Amino acid sequence: MMTEKENSSPAAGMTVSWVSYAAIMIVGLLSLFALYMGFINYTENQEIAIIYMFIGAAGFAAIGYLLFRGRPVTKQDKLTAKKVEVFTTLECPKCQQKRVRDFKRGDYIFKDDEPCTRCDGKMMITRITRKKEEEKKQDSSWL
Amino acid sequence: MTLLFGLVLQTQTDWNTIIQALYSFVFIIYLFYAQRIQTMQMLRQIEVTLRKVKTVKDEARNAAIKSINEIGKPTGDISPRVDRFLDFFSIGLESMDPAGIVDKMDHFLKTNKHIYEAEVKTLAPNATDVERSDLENLIEIGQALNIYYKVIRHYYLMGKKTMNIYVIMQIHMILPQLLQMVEAYSSGIQAFQEGMPIGDGVGAIVVGKMMHGYPQRAVAEEIVAAEVPYEGRTLVVFKSKGPGGSVGNPDEGLINILEERQGKVKIIITIDAAGKLEGEPVGQVSEGIGAAIGGSGKEKFKMEEIANKYKIPMHAIAIKEGMEHVVAPLVEPLFDATDKAVESVKRIVLEYTEPGDVVVVAGIGNTIGVGQ
Repeated sequence: MMTEKENSSPAAGMTVSWVSYAAIMIVGLLSLFALYMGFINYTENQEIAIIYMFIGAAGFAAIGYLLFRGRPVTKQDKLTAKKVEVFTTLECPKCQQKRVRDFKRGDYIFKDDEPCTRCDGKMMITRITRKKEEEKKQDSSWL
Repeated sequence: MTLLFGLVLQTQTDWNTIIQALYSFVFIIYLFYAQRIQTMQMLRQIEVTLRKVKTVKDEARNAAIKSINEIGKPTGDISPRVDRFLDFFSIGLESMDPAGIVDKMDHFLKTNKHIYEAEVKTLAPNATDVERSDLENLIEIGQALNIYYKVIRHYYLMGKKTMNIYVIMQIHMILPQLLQMVEAYSSGIQAFQEGMPIGDGVGAIVVGKMMHGYPQRAVAEEIVAAEVPYEGRTLVVFKSKGPGGSVGNPDEGLINILEERQGKVKIIITIDAAGKLEGEPVGQVSEGIGAAIGGSGKEKFKMEEIANKYKIPMHAIAIKEGMEHVVAPLVEPLFDATDKAVESVKRIVLEYTEPGDVVVVAGIGNTIGVGQ
């Protein structure tokens, strides 16, 4: 049986803290040192130098992997339900007067909403849409 | 530091031995523990996703409780009842002997709908019918997110317990798709909370635009129809009754209309939102044949049955949208596409029918925030 605590915190104890960043720093320094040793040894002992360089490169590759693929779990790493701005467009069928305002609960398309400010007609909701999203750049124009 | 490097250079041979030993050690460790390291990495990624899903699931629950309290004005604390209903499940039908499964599905869906209506009525006694429909949809989102959360958590905890890479891989491989679906559901919370038109409602908007201003009548449960004259033809257009969040029973609507007219209908046109493929623009209007309707398949089956009975050609208009648009508040390109779809309907009517013919036009989809 799962406890309430487990339910509320599915991954308690697995948060990555400063320790991971410290480990990355240490690995980075050791890799740098290994590369340095590789360069030093290159003229005298090429075999050993290659091993040093390999270790240094592997260290940096591991850091890259940690940073770009296995992102540390932090409190900010959340997905929240996005609230978007939604607008209601009203049009007067008599004088074609148009008005755009923020959406309010109870609005629906084809609703006779409020009196027209220009004539004695009643404005109807003709459009309810959210704010235009910024268009993403196409990766390749030929697609 | 200089001293350290000096010492290092002096004792280079010793260092070489140490580094070589370390290298061999790391190699041996990697040889035996590579899979375990990979397992831990995957578990961590699942955990990140699980946290995200949990946040959204909780938001949906809180939104449902808040809306019910605001709209329904219930007496007492409704949280335990909402939690119980969020855990509500429907057992799928047994299809070992598929004969007659469509009628069974029909009965099953009606029972399901009845339960939802009764539960929401108890939870929100003071809500109007329209508000109740919206609340039903909001609770459905909460239920879907709850299931996603529980399934991902199951595999995560199971994987952690067994450290079996194959258990973990099952969920790890489909994480991007799962996250995409969760994000899609999360964007619907706001829409259903406030009763805004959603991407799935484009079919209903198209028909709403065609029937607005004409006398309307109910032709089936939660389905309204109107007769619209167009270039000498009669268009019998129908959609689910808005502005509450409902999809109605369009199959029953079509059956009733066709039976009423003894099948004397030239063509049937169905309009619905359809999933777009990557690369296709949002709001692209495509034309084809068949019944443009999703859902359980029961509606599609019955619509095809009746069309086949009277040998009436079925035309379909699909308005393309991404998964993230289906339950999210309507985006502008989708609303603009409804005008193009109206033009498509008119063009199909002119091309495939003669003056005096009757055409049935069905606007399929959730009609939340869309009147008629």
